[in-house]
Amino acid sequence: MKLSRSEFLRYMALLAGGAYVAGCHEGGRYNHITGKITGASAAVGHRLREGQLPAPQQEIRTKVLIAGGGIAGLSAARALSLAGMEDFLLVELEASTGGNSASGSNDLTQYPLGAHYLPLPNPENISLLNLLEEAGILTGYENGVPAYEETSLCFEPSERLLYNGRWQEGLIPQFGIGPKDETEIRRFLALMQTYRDKKGADGKWAFDIPVANSSSDAVFTSLDCSTMAGFLRKENFTSEPLLWYINYCCRDDYGAGIEVVSAWAGIHYFASRRGRAANADSSAVLTWPEGNGRLVRHLRKFSEKQTMTGTLAYQVEQVGNEVQVHVWDHQKQQTTKIIAEHCILAIPQFIAGRLLQYETPSHFTYAPWLVANITLNRLPEEKGAPLSWDNVMYNQQCLGYITAQHQSLRQSPEKVQVISLYWPLDQLEPTASRHNALKLEHKDWVDQCMTQLEKMHPGIYRQVNNIDVQVWGHGMVRPIPGFMTAPKPTEPERISFAHSDLSGVSVFEEAFYHGERAAKRYLNSAAHS
Amino acid sequence: MDNPRSMHLLLLLSVFVIATCGLIYELVAGTLASYLLGDSVTQFSTIIGAYLFSMGIGAFFSRYFTRNLLSWFIQLEILVGFVGGVSSCLLFMLFDQVASFRLILYLLVGITGTLVGLEIPLLMNILKNRMEFQDLVSKVFTFDYIGALLASIIFPLMLVPQLGLMRTSFFFGILNVAVAMVVLVKFRKEVKWARYLTFQSVIVILLLTAGFAYADRLMHMAESLAFNEQVIFSKSSPYQRIVLTRNKDDLRLYLNGNLQFSARDEYRYHEALVHPPMMCHQQPANVLILGGGDGLAAREVLKYPSVRQVTLVDLDPAVTELFTGNKMLEKLNQGSLRHPKLKVENEDAFQWLRHQNKTFDVVIIDFPDPSSYSVGKLYTNTFYRLLRGVLTTESTVVVQCTSPFVAPQSFWCINTTLQQSGYATLPYHCYVPSFGEWGYIMASPGNVADKGLPLPQHLRSFSREAFAQMSFFAEDMRAVNLPVNKLNNQALVHFFEKEWAVYQ
Repeated sequence: MKLSRSEFLRYMALLAGGAYVAGCHEGGRYNHITGKITGASAAVGHRLREGQLPAPQQEIRTKVLIAGGGIAGLSAARALSLAGMEDFLLVELEASTGGNSASGSNDLTQYPLGAHYLPLPNPENISLLNLLEEAGILTGYENGVPAYEETSLCFEPSERLLYNGRWQEGLIPQFGIGPKDETEIRRFLALMQTYRDKKGADGKWAFDIPVANSSSDAVFTSLDCSTMAGFLRKENFTSEPLLWYINYCCRDDYGAGIEVVSAWAGIHYFASRRGRAANADSSAVLTWPEGNGRLVRHLRKFSEKQTMTGTLAYQVEQVGNEVQVHVWDHQKQQTTKIIAEHCILAIPQFIAGRLLQYETPSHFTYAPWLVANITLNRLPEEKGAPLSWDNVMYNQQCLGYITAQHQSLRQSPEKVQVISLYWPLDQLEPTASRHNALKLEHKDWVDQCMTQLEKMHPGIYRQVNNIDVQVWGHGMVRPIPGFMTAPKPTEPERISFAHSDLSGVSVFEEAFYHGERAAKRYLNSAAHS
Repeated sequence: MDNPRSMHLLLLLSVFVIATCGLIYELVAGTLASYLLGDSVTQFSTIIGAYLFSMGIGAFFSRYFTRNLLSWFIQLEILVGFVGGVSSCLLFMLFDQVASFRLILYLLVGITGTLVGLEIPLLMNILKNRMEFQDLVSKVFTFDYIGALLASIIFPLMLVPQLGLMRTSFFFGILNVAVAMVVLVKFRKEVKWARYLTFQSVIVILLLTAGFAYADRLMHMAESLAFNEQVIFSKSSPYQRIVLTRNKDDLRLYLNGNLQFSARDEYRYHEALVHPPMMCHQQPANVLILGGGDGLAAREVLKYPSVRQVTLVDLDPAVTELFTGNKMLEKLNQGSLRHPKLKVENEDAFQWLRHQNKTFDVVIIDFPDPSSYSVGKLYTNTFYRLLRGVLTTESTVVVQCTSPFVAPQSFWCINTTLQQSGYATLPYHCYVPSFGEWGYIMASPGNVADKGLPLPQHLRSFSREAFAQMSFFAEDMRAVNLPVNKLNNQALVHFFEKEWAVYQ
């Protein structure tokens, strides 16, 4: 479905419940709003497809070359470094590492550009608990239960929902719903609790994080055949507020709703988290003004000397006992051949496929995302629950916004605030949506974001000063039916894959897991040779 | 001036002024109603409806005026000017005073509308024998509508921003009466009861002029009526609204409408706040006060000869400045904020503590009550752990902890929080008439016990004997099993909101 820019805008406006007239931005009421579009260097990435780069003028040797400096790449580097293996290089296309967990900052505050929180890790996820302890986020154990740094735990009030014109605490609609809705919500949550407590015949948790640790018992994996919506219909869930809530959660974690993701993935969202804290509820999350940029800051320490930013790996080839990787430094406009014992491709499969010249399996599809960081004068106080960390409106296109300064300890009411609006662009199929999203100009995004924000806070446009828009063309892998049970891509002998998309779930824990796994694969093979 | 043409012109000009004034009163009432009652769409449409309807009533009654039309017209002008002129002032004053504010509002709108509705028909009756009917209708309505246009443009663009609502209505009241006076002078031969009307218009115009001149004070009074006391100072700082009131010999400070102290009994509060932690230290030399920008706690601290330095950290410079420069207030805090031993730092306590490496012997924490999430952060375990960094094991701390009688769960929640953060605690309370039974908690990383430091002389209520009673809690001021107040649960704010809700 190819649309022109104005057709796409009109389509988006239609979905948002408004009317859009091309070229008529409501008398230019948003003209005062400044800002820019930032985003993964798609233009540079596209050179991959076009080829025609000069032949390498120089050669470097290293033991391990890590391509990609997102969480998976940084975690792989950390694992190597902790094992005493410092002879590696990490190449990253962007100007700085961090991937989806990147963050930005302005005069007021730091803010996330993508992933912005981490739920409490499961007790079995020792690697992740160790990472948090190492970073000073986990401060110790009380009776075997981890205690977390108080300033890293999301402050109260954490969530609010605008439902029927009133802000209420939490994200599950509570007020103004019928008794039937209440019963169904209770029934659904209880059902998810039973899945959370279940183990398969293989003794593994039915649903676990990382996904790879989940049970392969067919009782549960059979849930990968249908969509979440199909599962809910079969289980007789029809309550509108409940379905909205589940759909919201799926869009939040997978960039796709219940009609798209598998029942396995949908349930995984609710049934895989068993984390606990000595000093917080089990539903608590860890968050920081810069989002998961806080974790990136820690991970970076392990590859500071080995990182080459602004550099793109465009050719990977196993030649005999070594891997030859051609990289292009797009600032210096020069190409280099890196010869390594092993290469860790910490990049999504759709790029890995291009580099290794195999067809990326069709179940790897990616949802485009928009994250808009909006600078505005104080948000108005409204009826009901006060401004929270996460602020969501019922039945809205975007997922709402989080407040970057929520974790601030300052008394003074900041006159200017930064809020981050999250929006999975799932109105169209990913390819069409991505294609159209990348065509939009800044002023189009301002219109789009303001339409969403004005619904939550009518008249707010006067308060808005600046909107920086981050478009993630391939923001999140989508766990569509069949994904979990599909065979994993085979890794060549000296090339390992490390990316959260291998799990079908685009979250920090998965990226971290795959980074460590790839590093261990190399370390094991090196030990045996 | 017997030239009939200029007479006509004068009367038509008065139509113009009348129309402008009429619409202004309507706009003032609408704006005021939406300002005071909210929901501007409803307010404006009901006010406009009521106003137009009343004008209809006025027009209907105009048929009963058959004689002395000019005199009645003048009388009417004076009345409209008076009622319209004082309307906004009256509404501001009565807003908090009467049970049914809406009744007063619509009554005023009704009276003004009826009077305005009488004006034009009356004027047309006056002019009908002096002009062609066609000409008359055309001219009267032309001036009427031009006046309305003018009013609708200058009201939002000039009057409200420049004069404010109260001055605007006084000003147009004056204009209305001025029309009456000009007509009175020009037509004095035709006007009956001229002296009586002259007298009346002079009185009203003086009254309105006085109102216009003193509008600021009237506004002030409207505010003080809400406080039941006379407001002598009010200011909005970036952090809060500061209001100082006086009632005979009593001086009171309100921050965001919450009473901070009453001069009549603040000594009870501040003596109980300061002297217990002082007497629990061997020799307090360095004292830290967090909050307490009024300098009253500092006054008590400075009574000890052993004290060498007092550091007062208060967020809001507007408060510390108010209590530094003002004679009346300096009498109260005995100039403590200007004392050479005292240093004021206008900073956020959380941020300030993070950058300290000095230690203090006594820390007095006099923050506002935990009524919001942002103040609630200052009562969390994170804050108390950070505070530990400026303490030695000998140091004592005191925290003002709201009322253990009204809010026992809030009070004991702070106690749990302090204990869990590694402090030994000693809770106590004191009766402060303007607050009620008030609570404090002493805490120390070591132990909290009387170290025998001599108390200053001439304390008005505090003594060691009194303290023995203060540290006993009757059953109705106790609560058990309370959680720790943390950034991620803000338990205290929830308790505080619930427990004080009955008193709001």
